[in-house]
Amino acid sequence: MAKLKAWRSIPAAGARLPTEHIAAEGAFPGLDPKWSRLVTAKTDDGAHTFHVLDTGPELAERGITPTGTILAVHGNPTWSYLWRRVLAASLEQAAEGRAWRVIAPDQLDMGLSDRLEHPEAPAAEAESYRRFEQRLGDLDGLMDALDVDTSVPLVTLGHDWGGVISMGWAMRHADEVDAVVSLNTAVDHPVDEHVPAALRAAMAPAVLPISTVETEGFLKVTLGLAEGGLESAVKKAYRAPYTSRWGRGGIGGFVADIPALSEHVSRPVLEETSSKLTQWQKPTLFLWGPQDPVFQDRYLADLLERLPHADVHRFEGSGHLLAEDRNIAAPLFTWLDDRFPAADVQEDARSGLRSPEPAGEVSRLHDQLEHLTMTWRKASPAVVDMGVAEDQERAVSWDDLAEKVDALAVGLSELGVSPGDRVSLLVQPGNDLTVILYACLRIGAVAVVADQGLGLKGMTRAVRSARPQWIIGAKPGLTVARTLNWPGRRVSLDVLSGRQAKLLGTVASVERLLRSHSGRSPQDLPYPAPEDPAAVLFTSGSTGPAKGVLYTHGRLGALVALLRQQFAVKPGSSLIAGFAPFALLGPAIGATSVTPDMSVTKPSTLTAVAVAEAALAGEATMFFGSPAALRNVVATAGELSAEQRDALGGIYLVLSAGAPVHPVLLDQVQELFPEAEIHTPYGMTEGLLQADISREQVHEAMTSGPSGEGQPGVCVGRPVDGVRFALAPLDAEGHPVEQLVEPADHVGTLGEIVVSAAHLKEGYDRLWLTDRQSRRDTYDGLIWHRTNDVGHFDAEGRLWIQGRLQHVITTPAGPVGPGTVETPVDALDEVARAAAVGVGPAGTQAVVVIAEPEGSAKALRTGRSPLAQPEFARTVREASEVPVSAVLVLEGLPTDIRHNSKIDRTRLAEWAAEVLAGEKVKSL
Amino acid sequence: MSPKTVTDQEILPGSRVLVTGASGLLGRSVAQKLVDLGYEVTTLQRSSSSIDGAQEVRGSLSDPEAVTRAVEGQHAIIHMAAKVSVSGEREEFVEVNIRGTERLLEAAWSAGVDNVLHVSSPSVAHGGSSLVGEGAGAADPEHAEGNYAQTKAEAELIAETYGSAGMNVLIIRPHLIWGPGDGQLTHRIVARARSGRLPILGSGAALVDTLYIDNAVEAFVAGLRRLPAIHGQRLVLTNGEPRPIGELLMGIAEAGGAKRPRMRVAPAIAKAAGLAVEKIWASASRVTEMPGDGEPPMTKFLAEQLSTAHWFDQRRTRESLDWTPSVSVDQGLEKLSEHVRRTGGVL
Repeated sequence: MAKLKAWRSIPAAGARLPTEHIAAEGAFPGLDPKWSRLVTAKTDDGAHTFHVLDTGPELAERGITPTGTILAVHGNPTWSYLWRRVLAASLEQAAEGRAWRVIAPDQLDMGLSDRLEHPEAPAAEAESYRRFEQRLGDLDGLMDALDVDTSVPLVTLGHDWGGVISMGWAMRHADEVDAVVSLNTAVDHPVDEHVPAALRAAMAPAVLPISTVETEGFLKVTLGLAEGGLESAVKKAYRAPYTSRWGRGGIGGFVADIPALSEHVSRPVLEETSSKLTQWQKPTLFLWGPQDPVFQDRYLADLLERLPHADVHRFEGSGHLLAEDRNIAAPLFTWLDDRFPAADVQEDARSGLRSPEPAGEVSRLHDQLEHLTMTWRKASPAVVDMGVAEDQERAVSWDDLAEKVDALAVGLSELGVSPGDRVSLLVQPGNDLTVILYACLRIGAVAVVADQGLGLKGMTRAVRSARPQWIIGAKPGLTVARTLNWPGRRVSLDVLSGRQAKLLGTVASVERLLRSHSGRSPQDLPYPAPEDPAAVLFTSGSTGPAKGVLYTHGRLGALVALLRQQFAVKPGSSLIAGFAPFALLGPAIGATSVTPDMSVTKPSTLTAVAVAEAALAGEATMFFGSPAALRNVVATAGELSAEQRDALGGIYLVLSAGAPVHPVLLDQVQELFPEAEIHTPYGMTEGLLQADISREQVHEAMTSGPSGEGQPGVCVGRPVDGVRFALAPLDAEGHPVEQLVEPADHVGTLGEIVVSAAHLKEGYDRLWLTDRQSRRDTYDGLIWHRTNDVGHFDAEGRLWIQGRLQHVITTPAGPVGPGTVETPVDALDEVARAAAVGVGPAGTQAVVVIAEPEGSAKALRTGRSPLAQPEFARTVREASEVPVSAVLVLEGLPTDIRHNSKIDRTRLAEWAAEVLAGEKVKSL
Repeated sequence: MSPKTVTDQEILPGSRVLVTGASGLLGRSVAQKLVDLGYEVTTLQRSSSSIDGAQEVRGSLSDPEAVTRAVEGQHAIIHMAAKVSVSGEREEFVEVNIRGTERLLEAAWSAGVDNVLHVSSPSVAHGGSSLVGEGAGAADPEHAEGNYAQTKAEAELIAETYGSAGMNVLIIRPHLIWGPGDGQLTHRIVARARSGRLPILGSGAALVDTLYIDNAVEAFVAGLRRLPAIHGQRLVLTNGEPRPIGELLMGIAEAGGAKRPRMRVAPAIAKAAGLAVEKIWASASRVTEMPGDGEPPMTKFLAEQLSTAHWFDQRRTRESLDWTPSVSVDQGLEKLSEHVRRTGGVL
């Protein structure tokens, strides 16, 4: 970049872009010239003319009285154009009676507002540039000049430095402002922390005038931050006020006003704002783009520390120009409607909602642990870890476990882990993880469990979204955390050498904390309350980025109560945990949990021998596994010795969770576990156990009905105690309707399955909008969860699941669940398994069957094309009740990563759409 | 006096209907069906239509006097006459498809004929790209491909102009009609398959909508009957059963008594020739064109139709016509097969 030789003064006069430009056809796509007005306001250095986008006049013209006012403040180097879609959406819904007047000014020296005179180049100490303090005064003057109805709610909305300014202004008018909303911003910048690189470059004194004023550098970089790039017309609109050097003085001024250093002139106002925010109790919403190189997640974390009550939605994949990337108007107005309900809406319709009674008595997660140490069982094993080398202690007694948990609880607490702190656990399931988890739960720290099934990319996203204060991990996990710069102070599992500790940046080790706090009791530390957060788990991410799911102590306690009730798990029971979530609950239930020797990421590697050895070591009575694990256990049964076989005979309950299981596999499992009852419960990360069915009941269901062929989909049984199901029938476009209905009144109707239970999630983490949508129902005064699964209930009250909502095929004859087509096709001799997907536009989709052949694919397809032979296509069409357009043959249908058993219909649908459009056939 | 046969909702049997282009399979079948139902049918074409019970006006659309005579006193017109081949001088297409339509509608307007069912083609609205669940967009002469589609697109716009002037105009665009008696698509597929020269392109999986002849006839009758209530629309007309093109070709060839065409995997050929799949098909079919095949075949047009997906949203069509196809693709194939057996190999 060229060095700036001499500053040429920027005169004030005539530098404002004439507002007539606004009216030019197509000059500012999405901006209605009617919203544009010039307002002269008194400021601390005299009157200035501001350009303002304001829906007030149009509302007045339509005779609509505003229900509230939104003051929307842009940042640098955008202008009020940023808010055009909020203005448009506000007017659209104004007709329905929720009329928010949106006032979006261009800040002084920015957009189409007055330009200032700049005899000197922009710099931190240059006086001709607008300061934070002055900008707050500008807003005062503007709000005085505009005729704002003070009797209705006032909400501020900001982005970038407009976020800070709008919140700074709100804090000074805390009595009049009723809510604050901001997109990516920051209210504090600790002077000891480094400024984000992107901004640092622009702020260097030598560079600042050149990058911001002399050239369009800063402008172009910012506009380049939009996800997928801006449309050229939109980009042109953003650039319009800043195409000349005279127009860009404000851009330089804004950058110069960033109070990164403690002696900066604007630092006091920033500190005033950030400290006042900690007192702010009124509604607050943050809409955040995590891919922002400037306003990174750490600034969101800072905001949430000040405003723990704030609602947050992080739009995964979006960045700095969130307002361009996503529709922010819809969540904004939904939130405002919730927070400022119309007079005719019952005020506490939402806040009065409750969950059904738990299945059994809910106790604290530590009660059993503490109780068992006082019984004769105290020396019996609480946890057995078959992954530990044989020469080391595999079993930990209840006494020892309780002591270790206590010691670590005290140790973590003294290290500085506080109640509410989030702790990411990068430790393999086993004894160590159990100790750490219960120590965290004891002191009220929130366990963040991002499992390796998410893949490295997914885990990174998950950890970033949960933003833990701490990471506890084994070396491999910490290395990844360090390399990928995951947030959180790091604690290692084992004692590390000084060099390693430095390399990995750890501040302590679990091993040493245990040793140094041995024998200590956390009796002075309060127990967390039922409503306190306990853990964040993650969904498998098979339909979009993995979502964080937040559980409270009370809700996990309800789950424990349910497990004890449903499967008669009790003290003295011993469970082999081939499915991680249940292993962690063992101590809370009071059951011994045995971790078999297996790779967590590859459940399909669990062998029959490993299960038998675990059964022998832990005197196991129960085995929990995933379908993939069960498949391999059956496949490796031949390796069992007679003694090992006998050990399996001692197991009286086998649970398979996570995905549907084929009845044939269930029968094979039964042969291996002759004394066991085999169950395949239905649930999800958001509610681990909702319905249940035994092997016998599966067979009964599948031969039920007049023709003895069962029904479409997979039968998952009836609701377990404490669970209520409701149904949201699908409309012609395949969308679930809003009004929930009783399953018993709508037998056979395809719909989204909606559930209510005490052991459901507390909410989605930092996904306010997703959470709001998932729990939008108020039916029967209950808190509901939209599962996104579709299915139907039969006359016996059994639930049949057909797939995910996005897998529904919307034919001209109505929506069709994939199971309706798949179930009869699966039954064909030639077919190992089949997927049904839709191609074409919603509402007029064609049904496509993709069959995985039982034997060779060659006999069923035509040459090398996946197209089925006409004879096979005819067989499939005759089997299906629904017209099938095309039949394709594919060896090996793709499945999900975590469970390795759910058919990935989304991928198949994309593939089929290309094949059936006549494009070249790609391999999957 | 007989009860009124034309209302603001329906055109009932007893009404007088002119059918142009009644010498083709569709025109002849529709005219015959209308006669059977009790409509008073007049046909306009160059040679005799020999339809029992129909009045005949011999002449072409280039003959204003014949046109005037034909439209006189009609309640409705089904305008099916068109030049449908893919080669030939552009002027011929313009004369029949554009000027012919102009003359007919002008005469109808002057004679006070209120109702026109204009028969068009989905190709008037699209270029060569694949169509997946497509609706019925406006005719687009600039982007339609080839003389036939371009001139039919112009003709549609002319018909719509009369529609907006107050005439009841309904546009129906049938897609790929086939069945017994079809000398176009069905004949060509079977003839080629019989001589072992029917290639199937690429994977043969492109989804294509077709229309069995009997369904077409019933839909046109329904369209005529309901015309006063549903005019002003464009409706693509198909069986609403998109099928992989390879499967359709195999099915029609076999029903026609030919051996199942051997699957030819195009990617290798396409690679060698360095050409896109549809171009291979187009050039391959030109080269292998049988001499003396009479009317130049629709092979290039067909190639485009058959190498990429071409299927349509039928919801509005079915709702407007209050009609659903009575013969499925599979039933149609059986009927074709029976017909061929009965006639000893004649399509």
